[in-house]
Amino acid sequence: MSRTAAAPRTAGGSALTGTRPLLRASLRQEARSFAPWIAAVTALSASSVLAYAFLFPDASDRKALAAAVGGNPALGLIFGPARDLSTTDGFNTWRSLALGGFITALMAIFAVVRASRAQEDSGQAELLASGVLGRSARLAVAVAQASLASLAVGVVSAVVTGLCGAGWADTLLLSATFTVTGLMSAAVAAVAAQLGSDARTASTLAVAVLGCLFVLRGYLDSMDFGDWVSWVTPLGWMERTEPAAGNTWWPLLPGLGLAVVLLVAAFALQARRDFGQGAFAPRPGPARGAVRSPLALAWRLNRGPVLSWTVAFVLLGVVFGNFSTSVTDLLSGNPAAAAVLASGAATPDALVASFLVTILSLAGIIAAISGVQTMLKVRSEELEDRAEPVMAAAVPRSSYLGAHVLLALSGPTAGVLVAGVVTALIAGTAGIGVGVGDVLLQAVATVPAVWTATAVSVAVVGARPQIRLAAWIGVLASFALTLLGPTFKLPDWALGISPFHHVPHVTAAHPDWWGLLWITLVTAAFLAIGLAGFRRRDLAR
Amino acid sequence: MEILVAGERSPMASQDAVIDVEGLSKSFGEYQALKGLDLRVERGEVHGFLGPNGAGKSTTIRILLGLLHADAGTVRLLGGDPWKDITSLHRRLAYVPGDVSLWPGMTGGEAIDLLGALRGGIDEKRRAELIDRFELDPRKKGRQYSKGNRQKVAIVAALAGDVELLVLDEPTSGLDPLMEAVFQEVVGEAKQRGVTVLLSSHILSEVEALADRISIIRDGKVVETGTLDQLRGHARTGIRAVLERLPDAPDPAAALASAGVLLDVRLEGRKLAADVDSARLTEAMTALAPYGFASLTVAPPSLESLFLSHYDNDDDIRGTR
Repeated sequence: MSRTAAAPRTAGGSALTGTRPLLRASLRQEARSFAPWIAAVTALSASSVLAYAFLFPDASDRKALAAAVGGNPALGLIFGPARDLSTTDGFNTWRSLALGGFITALMAIFAVVRASRAQEDSGQAELLASGVLGRSARLAVAVAQASLASLAVGVVSAVVTGLCGAGWADTLLLSATFTVTGLMSAAVAAVAAQLGSDARTASTLAVAVLGCLFVLRGYLDSMDFGDWVSWVTPLGWMERTEPAAGNTWWPLLPGLGLAVVLLVAAFALQARRDFGQGAFAPRPGPARGAVRSPLALAWRLNRGPVLSWTVAFVLLGVVFGNFSTSVTDLLSGNPAAAAVLASGAATPDALVASFLVTILSLAGIIAAISGVQTMLKVRSEELEDRAEPVMAAAVPRSSYLGAHVLLALSGPTAGVLVAGVVTALIAGTAGIGVGVGDVLLQAVATVPAVWTATAVSVAVVGARPQIRLAAWIGVLASFALTLLGPTFKLPDWALGISPFHHVPHVTAAHPDWWGLLWITLVTAAFLAIGLAGFRRRDLAR
Repeated sequence: MEILVAGERSPMASQDAVIDVEGLSKSFGEYQALKGLDLRVERGEVHGFLGPNGAGKSTTIRILLGLLHADAGTVRLLGGDPWKDITSLHRRLAYVPGDVSLWPGMTGGEAIDLLGALRGGIDEKRRAELIDRFELDPRKKGRQYSKGNRQKVAIVAALAGDVELLVLDEPTSGLDPLMEAVFQEVVGEAKQRGVTVLLSSHILSEVEALADRISIIRDGKVVETGTLDQLRGHARTGIRAVLERLPDAPDPAAALASAGVLLDVRLEGRKLAADVDSARLTEAMTALAPYGFASLTVAPPSLESLFLSHYDNDDDIRGTR
């Protein structure tokens, strides 16, 4: 701005000129893309309310639920502390607060990056910027749009959940935490969009911040550090509102404050940078190339994400490992778990073992996310006309897709194994009743399930890429069934839809290894569908 | 490799077609992009593939490259099936798309080497020479290149290979006139080496300068095919003249037109503007000679007028044939 200050300000335009019409046009286009996110959060919250009375009709059922949740501290990593599972609203808070906030946050991040950086990449923004549009208008539109969507998540989920029979006061506060989490994440993304010099870097940056905060929040919640630790992360602030267990509204304020501070920073950065550039200026690269095969190309396109995921898995392993070392303390300190142990229904070793299975399954499901991303990259390469010159060279379709499939399967494999090794080294040497080898073997046994969850995306991208969202079905089903399913008393056949249900407990007396064969056959079928479809279909259609 | 001279061909040559497409149809949902397209490209020729945006040029090319599956019709490329024989055929051809999209994080040099290697090798000497002639900086990242420079990357990658067929889909879009001249030189040299070229374009001067034969595509069908001379034969030559005297008739213009050789006669004082079937030019001159010429310009039909005649006045052209 300072450089142009000397120029006469003729029409009295400000940095925000044109925001309103652009926002209106943009909302008309984008509103539909927010619907699945809003629906997901609403379904999460409303389904808890609907299911609770049905699944846990009386006090003894609810006590059993509290025991099951308390007996598996790994669940705390995702859902946060269970303050009160004896009421509908308490149960809904436990199940939805952290996860609903996370989903809203992802929506806000993608909305901001799409409307700011991605538009700059595609050249659409240039068209807009040449019109009568203030310098900050596009970012303002991106943020406003994400904020409105976050607000919509809050309003829709509150109304629907309330109509389903939840307490209005508790539900309103719970839904307000979704909205505020969305606002904070939109602000994080607004800063990330100024730092990264393209859309992918920007969203990776913002999602990484969110992911780290989420894992840190879960870790701190699950450990016995004392009550104050939940103030460490902004996501912890949301928890401090304690919906259905006191209803404190004011912790939302620091969340809003953080969003405002980040937004001020984002607009300041935006005013200083050049169009299309980020904080890091690109340097000249090599004049000659070493990438000379489809596999090398696939690696080159995905190496950034694969390497950052691998680092993330090292960190995840550290968190899980540390967490495991205190699992016996956590179990004995938990009255519900102690009751289970005292009744002889389970041995401490069995509880520790099922804890390990859960956290490694969680690592596996996260790893499958990276695999699906690799496959979706195939689709975006295709749609952005970069696959075309490659296919016009002497590259058969099977090797083009095959190279990406190989990477989509081996990347997550490396991730799970890295997390497994780190967890094993930390947990196996802590004398909690499991050895290094047990943890490692459990990690290896998890890998085929990761492949199955990822292979769904191979089939989708290969055969029916138009239904892009379907690529996530494997990951979503695994998450919903394996991590959420058991608390819902789903029948065994339903739980068995998730490949992770078939991962053997390696420390059991007679681990059932057959399951891995079945899910590997399913994997093979998905891969075959994907390859056959890719060879048959029109490219970039 | 033997270089065939462009122009009229014997029936023998037709067995050597590099591209042979008959009755090609392709729909995308409701929209019919190709409606029974025929196209033949003989070995060693530069074949201009002319048509406006949306006529079906790129769809045809994508089918030739095995990227899209034909709904109906036969397609032979270098004697093979472009859908099935991908690897063996693609080793023998190179492709420049009209809208080049490069990998944002990869340099132009890396992209050239990748595409070259995937095709099975690159001529190092020619690579260096082309980069030099096109004044391309191969060390820039894909996202830093302008449209024209992205185009150059694809052109260098395609022309640095040793191939039999070049498939160029509006290859010069975004190039400045200097670089376009370099492009024409380079394609000319490829032709000297015996390379067959399918050059899709809507830049008429480029096609006029390079092409031996031309196919004009309109609305998913090839409406006209032939050498430039043949196409011109169907079209009219423009005559502008200042006559020394006028025919001795009440309506001199009608008198000039009455012979049926001169068409579209416009007379303004002694200034005459008229069209004539190119094949009947001598007759026209003979008819006009009695009146004497103060000045005379005879303009052969440009490709542009040909092209426009197909698009503005299609029925009329068909009627005269």
